[in-house]
Amino acid sequence: MMNDHLSIDQLLDLQEPGVEPGVAVARAHLESCQQCRLEADRLAQRSARLRALPSLKPVRDNWPRIRDRVEAQRRRVFLRRGLLVGLAAAATLLLAVWLRPVVPIAPASTEVAQARSRSNQLEQFLQAYHADSRVTDGRTARLAVDLEDRIALVDRQLEAAQLLEERQREAAMLQLWRQRVGLLDALVDVHLTQASAVGF
Amino acid sequence: MAAALVLTESDRLLARARAGDLAALEQLCRAYQVPVYNLARRICRSIEDAEDVLQETFFEVCRSIQQFRGDGSLWGWIRSIASSKALMRLRRNRYRETDELDEEFHQPVARGESGLRMDLEAALERLPDLTRAVVWLHDVEGYTHEEIAGLMGKTPSFSKSQLARAHVRLRRWLGEEVA
Repeated sequence: MMNDHLSIDQLLDLQEPGVEPGVAVARAHLESCQQCRLEADRLAQRSARLRALPSLKPVRDNWPRIRDRVEAQRRRVFLRRGLLVGLAAAATLLLAVWLRPVVPIAPASTEVAQARSRSNQLEQFLQAYHADSRVTDGRTARLAVDLEDRIALVDRQLEAAQLLEERQREAAMLQLWRQRVGLLDALVDVHLTQASAVGF
Repeated sequence: MAAALVLTESDRLLARARAGDLAALEQLCRAYQVPVYNLARRICRSIEDAEDVLQETFFEVCRSIQQFRGDGSLWGWIRSIASSKALMRLRRNRYRETDELDEEFHQPVARGESGLRMDLEAALERLPDLTRAVVWLHDVEGYTHEEIAGLMGKTPSFSKSQLARAHVRLRRWLGEEVA
């Protein structure tokens, strides 16, 4: 039998879900003790008054600062990614120049034409599919944007490769067109996987 | 047959935000800025700290929204970021203010103890930082002691004892002690 009044700790324990040791005894005491019931009511009222305190509101518009930080961070990520791709492309071209006297480069114009044709087919498919106007989830959209960024970078490298000497140009073009086909293939996959996931 | 795809307005907004659409992120920020700021002000007290917490919270939301899986509510996810940032700010301030080893000595003159009743706002502000944070997270935001312990890097017993101490003090300062 519990004769002393319940402490704040015990009263708070009674509000928690689950049954801790001693809670049943404390609950029985609460049933029979008016003073503890009054204390429990005050405790509950105090919590309710805390919840009812007015909301404090920011005095100024914080969004412009947040947006500036987000944009700065995106620029950093984009530059870092662009730099890495650019370095990789430069290294590839240098390697092609370096290996030229040792490894004869086979005429690749037919293969370039094939890769270019495949690239056109995939682009036509994407246009007909109207990927931009379809509902996608965030992950799909992110993947698609990433792939599109990478395709844009390859396009810039293709333009740069036009300036190379003929034999080097053929090799670089072939590699870049194949890279472009691979990226477009992946982009088509991303859209089709999303479409099957939502039941189109 | 194609399944009907029904998306609510908030689902669409969330999808756009996840795709990095700044207009959608702005809408989310504006929709939740008051509860985030309120939580930060109640925990950190100063306007400057609360605004910093607000900005850090939404910067983190913009950066990590792709990681929000939608298992719980969006507000629950944003609130956990805000709580964590606010507690981090408290810790940082505590490290800076080396004289806070004993919070009891740094409270203003004990108005409540001199028999005058304080209002709830003043009493809440007068609580030591960690104690006030526990009260707010538990009684207002509805966190469990286990969740508070996780956020603070303490034990659930710490959270429980802080809450009990807070209510003893609030009861005294508010003049609610049972005769």
